[in-house]
Amino acid sequence: MSRRLAACLAAAALPLAADAAPENYVIDPYHTYPYFEVEHVGMSWVRGRFEKTTGKFTLDAAAKAGTVELTIPTATISTGDNERGERARARDEHLRTPDFFNAVEFPTITFRGSATKWNGDAPAEIQGQLTLLGVTKPLTLTVLNWKCGPDPRTQGKRYMCGANATGSFKRSDFGMKFGVPAVSDEVRLWVGLEGFRQ
Amino acid sequence: MNSLLSHPAVQGGIAPFVVGLAVVAILGRAKLGGLAVPVGFCVAVALLSGIAFSPLTATRKIVLLALVAPAIGVLVDLVFKCGRTLAVLIALACGALTVWAFWSVLHQKTAAQALLLGGGTAAFVAWVVWATLALAGQPVRAGAAALMLGLGAGVSAVLAASALLGLYGIAVGASAGAFLLWQMVTGHKIAAGATLTLPASLTAALLAAGALVLAELPWYALIAIAAIPLATRLPAPDRLPVWVQAFIVSAYGFVAALAAYALTLRASAAPG
Repeated sequence: MSRRLAACLAAAALPLAADAAPENYVIDPYHTYPYFEVEHVGMSWVRGRFEKTTGKFTLDAAAKAGTVELTIPTATISTGDNERGERARARDEHLRTPDFFNAVEFPTITFRGSATKWNGDAPAEIQGQLTLLGVTKPLTLTVLNWKCGPDPRTQGKRYMCGANATGSFKRSDFGMKFGVPAVSDEVRLWVGLEGFRQ
Repeated sequence: MNSLLSHPAVQGGIAPFVVGLAVVAILGRAKLGGLAVPVGFCVAVALLSGIAFSPLTATRKIVLLALVAPAIGVLVDLVFKCGRTLAVLIALACGALTVWAFWSVLHQKTAAQALLLGGGTAAFVAWVVWATLALAGQPVRAGAAALMLGLGAGVSAVLAASALLGLYGIAVGASAGAFLLWQMVTGHKIAAGATLTLPASLTAALLAAGALVLAELPWYALIAIAAIPLATRLPAPDRLPVWVQAFIVSAYGFVAALAAYALTLRASAAPG
């Protein structure tokens, strides 16, 4: 009798277990962009972004657990200055050299983190490790908003999540010291990401 | 003071020059005046990026080799005589070390690309080191070659989009300029030897190769830079005052350096 009861309880719990399983998402590179801004000669903020970011994240709202992995191709950096004009080189070309991102030697920047704070069913903070120029340092991203739901472009056939997060770091911590302080040491970061459930 | 030391002209030019001049003044009579170049370079690195070797990037490997080279140079001058065979062996070793310096980039490329890039830069560095070591017994020509190699590699690197590699190269040129200027002002030649020629040529050549591998220096600019040690061998009569000799051979080297600048600028004019 007790075996039957246990079997019934286990069967009843199966759907709950399925709900609690971590969901896997693949990053949408066309709607995932890490943006950054630095102060230029103490006057203004120069902004830029990286393109073709790939990666994945997992989400288990019931267990309040989640992870994220982003791989950012360094050479895709763009600050809106790709045209040389009368100059020998454009700013984006300079940013790819060893003075800054050293894109030839370090073709990717990576971030791996876990959700450490939650706001209801949504992650509120992600603590992780940023690897830039071969140096790995902690980086905390504050999640500004996190939303999940059916992708309206597919009449709800595809489920997706999207988020915006922000953080900051000192580039000199990663050995990127060129131009400090004319180009600020502090780099502010914004990441807008979307991913599709697998 | 801090704002002064954070100015690129001070970091890459004035500071290495002043320090180089002090080293020549103090160590010139001890036949170690050539240490002006590695000491001046070291000051520039400390001011520009700090001396650090972790992670050991290609640029940091160049700095490391630039710091080891003077020890080898002094050893060669004091213990061995830098004959042809030894010069060839040193140049070949420098070529091999070039592959090590850029291995982090080379291993990401296809075998054919890696062979071309690694073999090409290794041959370039080996040639520059060998051709400059041959000037070890001629302090004025050696100083002029070091000056123009530094400025040739440095300014070309700046034009190729890397101000850091460029300022490192200019620092080599500035400190070699101090070595040359001391001879011009005093009218007396001071020993160059491998103490000067090895670190100056290896550092400048690696920086030029770095601007090719890591930035946007066109490969053919390396040919003009490789011609600098040859150019400083052109005639300059010994009967002329030292300052005139220094001026003439530096002008020869400058023509080759100028060709490197022109080639780099020409490449940058092409659509990016």
